[in-house]
Amino acid sequence: MVMNFDYLIKETARNLRRNLTLTLASVLTVAVSLSLLGVALLLQKGVSNATDRWEDGVEFIIWIQPDISENQRGLIETDLENSTGIETYRYVDQEEALREFNEDFFPENPEITQLVTVDVIPPSYRVIPAQLNAEAIEIIAASFETKPGVRKVVRATDEISKIETATDVIRWVVLGAGIILLGTGLLLILNTIRMAMFARRREIEVMKLVGATNWFILIPFMLEGTFQGLVGASLGTASVYGANRAFEEWLSSDSVLNILQSFAVTSGDVWGIGLLLIGIGGLVGSIGSAIAAYRFLDV
Amino acid sequence: MIKLESVTKVYKGEVLALRDASCDIQKGEFVFLVGQSGSGKSTFLRLLNKEEEPDSGKIHIAGKEIGSLSRWRVPHMRRQIGSIFQDFKLLPNKTVSQNVAFALEVIGRPKYVIEDQVPAILDLVGLQEKTNRFPHELSGGEQQRVSIARAFVNRPLILLADEPTGNLDPQTSVEIMRLLERINETGTTVVMATHDRGIVDTMRRRVIELNSGEIVRDQARGVYE
Repeated sequence: MVMNFDYLIKETARNLRRNLTLTLASVLTVAVSLSLLGVALLLQKGVSNATDRWEDGVEFIIWIQPDISENQRGLIETDLENSTGIETYRYVDQEEALREFNEDFFPENPEITQLVTVDVIPPSYRVIPAQLNAEAIEIIAASFETKPGVRKVVRATDEISKIETATDVIRWVVLGAGIILLGTGLLLILNTIRMAMFARRREIEVMKLVGATNWFILIPFMLEGTFQGLVGASLGTASVYGANRAFEEWLSSDSVLNILQSFAVTSGDVWGIGLLLIGIGGLVGSIGSAIAAYRFLDV
Repeated sequence: MIKLESVTKVYKGEVLALRDASCDIQKGEFVFLVGQSGSGKSTFLRLLNKEEEPDSGKIHIAGKEIGSLSRWRVPHMRRQIGSIFQDFKLLPNKTVSQNVAFALEVIGRPKYVIEDQVPAILDLVGLQEKTNRFPHELSGGEQQRVSIARAFVNRPLILLADEPTGNLDPQTSVEIMRLLERINETGTTVVMATHDRGIVDTMRRRVIELNSGEIVRDQARGVYE
């Protein structure tokens, strides 16, 4: 199909200008809804970063003293081997623990990781129990607590449930609000496009009369909707990026190591989320305008 | 060029707009469609343009049965058909030449073709002095000339005219009819629905009369009644 590029740009720009208030409303709604979605995704990513250690069925971690003697370690391992309640376990040495610490928790804050050296990081055993019975796990975990050389036994349930109950509610509320607003954004775009088509009904009538193809008539309107979705998504992405930056600033200004620091999200993840949001925005815009075009053009 | 075979069109299942209509219009003919309001003249024209679908019967345009035409082919069919109306259907925010150029732009004609064709067609309809005027600055007759220019700029095989002189005074109507005759002389088939007895009786062309959706008269060199 032959289509003049100038014509497309001209028509799309003119439609956007003509319907400025409604266009702004659509764009802002999409922006707000996508920032909420983005924040929910960031939160999810943060939680999964914070709970990385607990993947693959690890139910408790036995942190041991860095200066533990070979003898004491041998005793702990013998107990781990012999305990019938334990399916398997993995030893994480100081090197790996340090790497995990750096990568998972403070990728953006080298000044924190510089303070932490290999000899202060405790090695640990990640234990996967044979059955997921909370009481049985508690008995096994408690039995290691008093062993010599053991610094602390941390149960997954303690840490994960604390983090997850705290974030789950927030996440679902934010996600729900985001999705509802996204639906609103779609309807607004649909309506904006319908208004634009109504405003240009004479031109559309003439176009059909002289034999313009349906695509030729539709594409400027669909571009308009897609453009609105994309601009909204870009604003949303920018605010997610800004929110994450502010969070990072706040974390690095806080000299106390607190549990929130394990929520830090890498900039790669933020860009990934941004791309996803822009994709969603473009999709919402084109779907909204396609529905409008299909329903109101009567092609 | 245009052939109807027992075409029936019923609106909303009850209003009979066209009943069992058959006729055959040759290339280059000039045909008047006459009849009272509501006799089916506009439906006749809208069916030829595929703005309406017949409930039964077949319509051939330039040798093609248009009922079986797929939806995406319809725009290409319409490029062979120019249409003009009683209310001109000009775009008020575009100038005379922009209105005509629009018809070429939207079917993807390149710029140099548009720049070449538009002044030529405006010459033909006698509006070379008014190319940059807006429709509201023109008289009714001039506006109809613009709409004729727009309909004809793509050199269609067929020109459909739905009461083109309905809003014009007798003198202006005569001028518009002269223009349509000139277009007809280039080989374009013209089908014109009209109430204008004077025009039909003076021009003595083929007359098809409709009454309550039926073709009651089809007369070469006919008169209004």
